[in-house]
Amino acid sequence: MTEQISSLMDGELEAQDAERAIRSCCADEEQKATWLLYHAIGDTMRGQAPRDFARPARVIAALQAQPTVLAPKRRIAATAFKVAFAAAASVATVAVVAWIGVQGGTAERTDAVVAKGASNIQPVANKTTVVAPSVTVDEQAYLTAHRQLPSPELYRPVTNRAAAPAR
Amino acid sequence: MSAAARAAFSAFAVGVACGAVAAPGDDPLAWLTRAVQAARTTTFAGTFVHTNGDRTSTVRITHAVRGSEEHERVEPLDAPAYEIVRRNDEMYCYFPDAKTVKLDRRTTARFFPSLFAAPVATIAASYDVKLGATEHVLGYDCRWIRLDPHDTMRYAQRFCSETTTGLVLRAKTLSEQQQVIEQYTFTDLKVGPGAARVDLRQIFEARVKRWISDAKPLDEAQSAQTGWSVSQPPAGFEKITELKRPLAARAQPVPQIVFSDGLASLSVFVEPNSPQPRSAEVSSENGTTSFFVHPVGQYVVTVLGEVPLATAQQVARSVVHKP
Repeated sequence: MTEQISSLMDGELEAQDAERAIRSCCADEEQKATWLLYHAIGDTMRGQAPRDFARPARVIAALQAQPTVLAPKRRIAATAFKVAFAAAASVATVAVVAWIGVQGGTAERTDAVVAKGASNIQPVANKTTVVAPSVTVDEQAYLTAHRQLPSPELYRPVTNRAAAPAR
Repeated sequence: MSAAARAAFSAFAVGVACGAVAAPGDDPLAWLTRAVQAARTTTFAGTFVHTNGDRTSTVRITHAVRGSEEHERVEPLDAPAYEIVRRNDEMYCYFPDAKTVKLDRRTTARFFPSLFAAPVATIAASYDVKLGATEHVLGYDCRWIRLDPHDTMRYAQRFCSETTTGLVLRAKTLSEQQQVIEQYTFTDLKVGPGAARVDLRQIFEARVKRWISDAKPLDEAQSAQTGWSVSQPPAGFEKITELKRPLAARAQPVPQIVFSDGLASLSVFVEPNSPQPRSAEVSSENGTTSFFVHPVGQYVVTVLGEVPLATAQQVARSVVHKP
């Protein structure tokens, strides 16, 4: 279920699965705590103050137990723009895979996370870290679009199965 | 159509039909035509290094032509495990660890050594095309094709075209000061039907059978009137597409207008100037890629392309609402 919440936050679930995940996450105290925790981490890593919701003490406790994340500090807008641009340019040769890799969650960026357990939080932390160097990730989307490379919205994640149709 | 353009066009057509063009003698446009085609019609396998500004990446590429089928496998070597396999105009992205494959049928993205977006007549309208020296690269002879722009709105480019097949072995983009600002170079290469043999096909078919492929992309970029136009595009740059493109984290598709002179291209994006409005212009340059952001009241125009910053600026400042 934790994985479902992670996927839900990343917009990776189909409508039915998303509905199920939402229902489940608000019905169960533990799932609700996970949901809040993920948002708090996501907000913090994006350089925003965490959302103003009532955080149960256990969320705070869980946060304190998380690994230290070495994300760069937020910069002023102009600098951030350049940072985003540089990051985008680095993947320009094969931006398609880099971009999809981020979205699919398979591009591990463990270098930015000091891993000390807490495996349940790792997927979200990884994904968020990828966009953490800048608040203006939009420029990367521009670069991807400009090079006529597929953008993540164009994809559904698909997984292994025994009998995929031979095309 | 001028005689030269007509000749170039017919040579282009012949290249498509035959898959190879006879040795082009000393005609620069014939060399260019053959280089355009060779990227699609030659079987080769190799590794190239791409440097743009201060960024470098290494990519392994295998390109096989089997009858009318074109297969290509692209693997970045300094990145997490993933690869692209392209079959004709379908692009698959593989993530071996996750056993996941993603497909895009509509992508037009191609990689070095395929660098040309238009028939040579279009390119020749904006660049002087000349032949340069012959060089020995990785055991092959290649001849430099020199493209120097007619104005300062685009960069000079150099392509070293293999003398037998026409395949481009090296490509350089030069700044106005004649410094190399972007470069592609093969560091190892095999050319010819034996270079790719069967392994590409095996990999491709084994994976397609084993993994799900996603035949229907979620959303498609729609060709559309965006309500915006560029009143003063630089000479030689033609609008090649206008569409509304879904972008990450947007509620609405974003208007995009693409211009190209056959080699260099730029995109214009227009979005609402919110939620954190910009009041000042912002620009950035890295290698050949320029960004120029131009706020216009409640909208913000972003121009991005492989052009000098001045070109991006001229385009951005001349974006207007259509009457």
